[in-house]
Amino acid sequence: MTVDIRQARAPASRIVPVKAFMKAHSDRLWGPASILGGLLLWEVLSRFVIANTLLLASPTQIVGAILELLASGELQRHFFVSAQEFLWGYVSGCVLGVLLGLSMANSVAAQRALQPWVSGLYATPTVALAPLFILWFGVGIFSKVIVVALLVIFPVIINTEAGIRTTNPQLIETVRSFGATRFQIFTKVSLPSALPFIFAGFKLGIGRGLIGVVVAELFGARAGLGQLISQSAETFNMPALFAGVIVLAIAGILLTSAFTWLERKLVPWR
Amino acid sequence: MTDASYLPVSKLRVSNLSKRFGSLEVLKKIELDVVKGEFISIVGPSGCGKTTLLRIIGGLEHSDEGECKINGKNIDGPGKDRGFVFQQDNLLPWRTVQSNTEIGLEIASERLSKHRERIRSLLELVGLAGFENYYPRQLSGGMRQRVNLARALAIDPQILLMDEPFSALDAQTREIMQTELLRIWEEGRKTVLFVTHQIDEAVYLSDRVVVLARRPGRIQEIVEVDLPRPRPLSIKRTPHFVSYVDHIWKLIEHDVRESVLVEHI
Repeated sequence: MTVDIRQARAPASRIVPVKAFMKAHSDRLWGPASILGGLLLWEVLSRFVIANTLLLASPTQIVGAILELLASGELQRHFFVSAQEFLWGYVSGCVLGVLLGLSMANSVAAQRALQPWVSGLYATPTVALAPLFILWFGVGIFSKVIVVALLVIFPVIINTEAGIRTTNPQLIETVRSFGATRFQIFTKVSLPSALPFIFAGFKLGIGRGLIGVVVAELFGARAGLGQLISQSAETFNMPALFAGVIVLAIAGILLTSAFTWLERKLVPWR
Repeated sequence: MTDASYLPVSKLRVSNLSKRFGSLEVLKKIELDVVKGEFISIVGPSGCGKTTLLRIIGGLEHSDEGECKINGKNIDGPGKDRGFVFQQDNLLPWRTVQSNTEIGLEIASERLSKHRERIRSLLELVGLAGFENYYPRQLSGGMRQRVNLARALAIDPQILLMDEPFSALDAQTREIMQTELLRIWEEGRKTVLFVTHQIDEAVYLSDRVVVLARRPGRIQEIVEVDLPRPRPLSIKRTPHFVSYVDHIWKLIEHDVRESVLVEHI
């Protein structure tokens, strides 16, 4: 009998599904609502308040510019150049950073020799050296790769070293009690325990690397999103300028969330 | 009585062992003979060097004087013949129960597939069947200590060295783990050296209790515990059991009071 009653009453609760949905998800709606509100405000400001396309482009104009640049193949060309610069710089920065971080954690000599350079150069705004690299290596891709690698490498070095060093000594003692060699201690304890740190370094590197690409291109390039931006600024083409910025922002967000996903796959114990 | 297996075989022999940290004499002229299959506890006040003694036998530390021999062979460093159970469980957080248990075999470069069946029955023995794929953070303190024990047993050591393995557990879990340890021990009758500061735990588990004094750490008395096995928990309330605990407590009471005073200054 009780079963019948429950079944009879079940549809009654579905009469107001919208209200129930709002109640359950209201906290999640704040994010999208805020973005939509911001875009709307931007649209209104640029159309009616500032109303000067030489100073500010509206979101609809930017979307139009993006579509136009896509149609002409310009956006793809710029994106591909920047992507190449970022990729080579980022990968070499990460690989070298991990290697240097590991050697600093494992050898006192390496630590002593490298520490002053790492601390000094990490604090220096290395993007300021971008014009110099362009003078040295030209306006092509290579000078940007160097700038990106230089920006990415330091947080990776520092995080890798810190990760290895903060390995719980009791865990090391435990594998040592089973007769582990130095190499086994490294591969079975220190390295996995440092992985979350190393990942954090990679993540910091994404933002810094993207800054490197754009800034280096601003100082002189034949193509790339940074070059698109500076070229558009010179001709007061606000929609194209914002198009470049938006594409960069989306790339940054996608890269960071891809890393968060990868981290969850590779570091599932956290 | 001509059968050799009836003769007590010395498994571990510690003779004239001394150890100092700087000017502090931690252990002085320790003499101990452990027979195969024996369950020995080492008790004493804090600072008596009981953990240091265990670590020297485990090969994690070196002595300054004297000898430590297993099956007549000198100890130089950690080895597959000894399994160490740590005070903190020290499980690797990125490994599951199963692969934490297998780490000793991995370090010894054993083929894991060869040991699958034995590891399975070992995990069942320590009560972890069904938890093979859990990560340490998903386990309670008692279960983590079971993994700690299984990890040491997985390499099939001749001697099990246990360093206050239950001290971080609450009182009830601790009593359960004591009975569990005896149940597991009855299965293989490995030689066990068990360090604890809790006297009733030592008496309940052991064949003999080594009572250490402090400053310098030295053997005060070795108490034979003549209680029948298997031992139910209720044995802890029998007069015979209580008299052992009282006797040992009287041996170390003075030292304990002193160490408590020192620690509070």
